[in-house]
Amino acid sequence: MTTYTICIFTENTIGLLNRITIIFTRRRVNIESLTVSETERKGVSRFTIVIKHESREEVEKLVRQIRKIVEVMAVFGYLNDEIVYNEIALFKISTPLGGKSLDVETINKQYKAWVVYWGLDYVVIEKTGNNEEIFDFFGYLKQYEILEFVRSGRVAVGKTEKGLVEYLPEADWAYYL
Amino acid sequence: METIASVVLDSTGVNSINELVPQETAPVTFLSGAQALMESLVAEGVDTIFGYPGGAIMPVYDALYDFQDRINHILVRHEQGAGHAAQGYARMQGRAGVCLVTSGPGATNLVTAIADALIDSTPLVCIVGQVGRKLLGTDAFQEADVMGVTMPITKWNYQITDANEVATVLSKAFYIAQSGRPGPVLIDMTKSAQIELMTKPFRYEQCQSIVSYRPRLVPKTEQVEAAARLINNAKRPYILAGHGVQLAKAENELRQFAEKAGIPVATTLLGQSTIPVDHPLYVGWLGMHGNYGTNVLTDQADVVVAIGMRFDDRVTGDASKFIKQAKVIHIEIDPSEIDKIIKADAPVVGDAKEVLKALLPLINANDFTVWRNEFRKYDAIEHEQITVPELSSTEGKIRMAEVIDMLSTKTNGEAVLVTDVGQHQMMASRYYQFRRPNSLVTSGGMGTMGFALPAAFGAQVGAPDRQVVAIIGDGCFQMTLQELGTIVQNKQPVKAIILNNNFLGMVRQWQQLFHQRRYSFVELQNPDFITIARGFGMDGQTCDARENLSDALDTMLAHDGPYLLEVVVEKEENVFPMVPAGASVSQIRLS
Ligand SMILES: Cc1ncc(C[n+]2csc(CCOP(=O)(O)OP(=O)(O)O)c2C)c(N)n1
Repeated sequence: MTTYTICIFTENTIGLLNRITIIFTRRRVNIESLTVSETERKGVSRFTIVIKHESREEVEKLVRQIRKIVEVMAVFGYLNDEIVYNEIALFKISTPLGGKSLDVETINKQYKAWVVYWGLDYVVIEKTGNNEEIFDFFGYLKQYEILEFVRSGRVAVGKTEKGLVEYLPEADWAYYL
Repeated sequence: METIASVVLDSTGVNSINELVPQETAPVTFLSGAQALMESLVAEGVDTIFGYPGGAIMPVYDALYDFQDRINHILVRHEQGAGHAAQGYARMQGRAGVCLVTSGPGATNLVTAIADALIDSTPLVCIVGQVGRKLLGTDAFQEADVMGVTMPITKWNYQITDANEVATVLSKAFYIAQSGRPGPVLIDMTKSAQIELMTKPFRYEQCQSIVSYRPRLVPKTEQVEAAARLINNAKRPYILAGHGVQLAKAENELRQFAEKAGIPVATTLLGQSTIPVDHPLYVGWLGMHGNYGTNVLTDQADVVVAIGMRFDDRVTGDASKFIKQAKVIHIEIDPSEIDKIIKADAPVVGDAKEVLKALLPLINANDFTVWRNEFRKYDAIEHEQITVPELSSTEGKIRMAEVIDMLSTKTNGEAVLVTDVGQHQMMASRYYQFRRPNSLVTSGGMGTMGFALPAAFGAQVGAPDRQVVAIIGDGCFQMTLQELGTIVQNKQPVKAIILNNNFLGMVRQWQQLFHQRRYSFVELQNPDFITIARGFGMDGQTCDARENLSDALDTMLAHDGPYLLEVVVEKEENVFPMVPAGASVSQIRLS
């Protein structure tokens, strides 16, 4: 199984998520994670979808099927070494009075994570990184009581110099940047 | 333009448009969404709509009342009929067929036809009523999530909730349906958007392009050159022409190309009639019930030029064994079809007509007589073992092949043949000698029973000057026979032939061959078809005896108006040749 990151640039319209995911469902491909947001161009959304698949050929076919959707402008499939990517995780850790105290220095220096919220008897720690780094940190935090753990989908940009957006069709899309 | 004083704007409390404009100036009138829809259809050149009214589309029907002189609305008997009729119409006209139906059940009844149109690349614009905007998502009366239902079976769909959107959405809809690889689009229009008035004057501009959708018509030069090199070096090439040739209206280009290169031409089921059957380069059609030679020799070709086709499994048999030895040139307008089933050595993305035009000067004049003659050897075997016995029976019931063969002769191979799905479909394809382009309308990809009668009607509306003959199985007929009413009411001279074997024949054939003759629920107790036709006001007769067949066909063809001919045929006849499902094409069976 190889991990593929599929980046889809689309017009920002209602129902498109559905149209895209149908293509995965129909081919019985499981979506590991999915992140959507508007890009630096107004009206252009970017979907980042992570899947695992054993056949590169099938992934290429999938990409072509996605490209076929009328509102889709461009689709790119990447292997991990072709992108810079990250996820963000939030950990809610119980810090009851008299409980084990948090080693904030280790958390900051060794794990590059930050306490982003102090509750009365809990804290929320944010950690960004790849899958492995996040689970590494998860392992470290196990010594505390983890009340909640949530992880975002992957966000990714390609490593090519120019940036993928260069490939988008020229149009009257306004830049945010 | 008429004023719209009667329109009630319930949401704003304004009772008529005239309250919104200063009375002393000439009253500026804005169109309602429904009127804008009508104007848009007229601007798009639509002259015919196939539809069925209902509560959620009534404002549109009300607007239509004023457009009867410009738009011919045809009231079908079931929305599936509207869809198939629009498909038949679209195939003849080479542009989108338009359907108009109500929400909920009206829309879901249309679903089969939409799916059929998607897989066979037929342009349709389906306009569907929807509950009012405020009721969306509340399980209101006759509300169905039509957007959700049709998302996987449309090329594009859109929900209009604002009257101001109508013109832009409609122009986009027609552009998407008709350009690139054609297909069905669906517009779901809320009742409120139909009733509300626009807040600006109506303007219609035909859509010419969409940022995110850029079908490539003209191929890349490198791709054409690569294809030409393969063709020029070929020893045993053949062309496999699909429906795309017809959609691109590239029949002439196909012929010029084949004639210059001297390459034999085979077709897919839907590619039939793109080249006349009596053309010296035509070698038959490929597929499960296609011709013997084309199927067998597929495994011996060194170059296959596949044009506007998508390697359906009914064509390839076991795709992993299909044309492994050959270099494949795949000419396709839809890039997602390239390498989907069969890896292409030279893909050429573009419109078939444009690609063939670009290829023509690059290919060498050639002649593959020896190779071509190999097809003829197999033809002779097929002729002797299958065709002759099927056409020369003297006892027993009439055979399907005889009917089609005689029809072919009597119509000089020039009719538009609309077929349903089953044995009769395959027999019609095998025995009709197509001489004119665009002469076969059939449900190829979906294999939708019930397609033929409404599609034949639509084809006749779309091609009033042509002789349209539907070939229908007794099972299929009973799926959409109510459209006899539509045909009669609209006085269309459609001729329909039921090949009645009292069985769901194709399923029975499979049960016979692959399920030890366990005929599980395939025998039909049929009604008196002719009485039914008469009930609808259509003439017809039953032909049960070989000696009457010729007269019966003559009577049908000479009849002024629609006509139903029921031919009682051999009950347990099988269609051969046949490539068993999952076998490779060279394992084609003659019996
Ligand atoms: C809507 C639909 N239901 C079921 C089928 C499966 N099917 C394919 S052919 C066939 C039999 C058709 O029977 P008939 O119309 O009598 O034609 P024949 O094969 O006897 O010529 C059936 C049931 C289908 N293609 N479409």
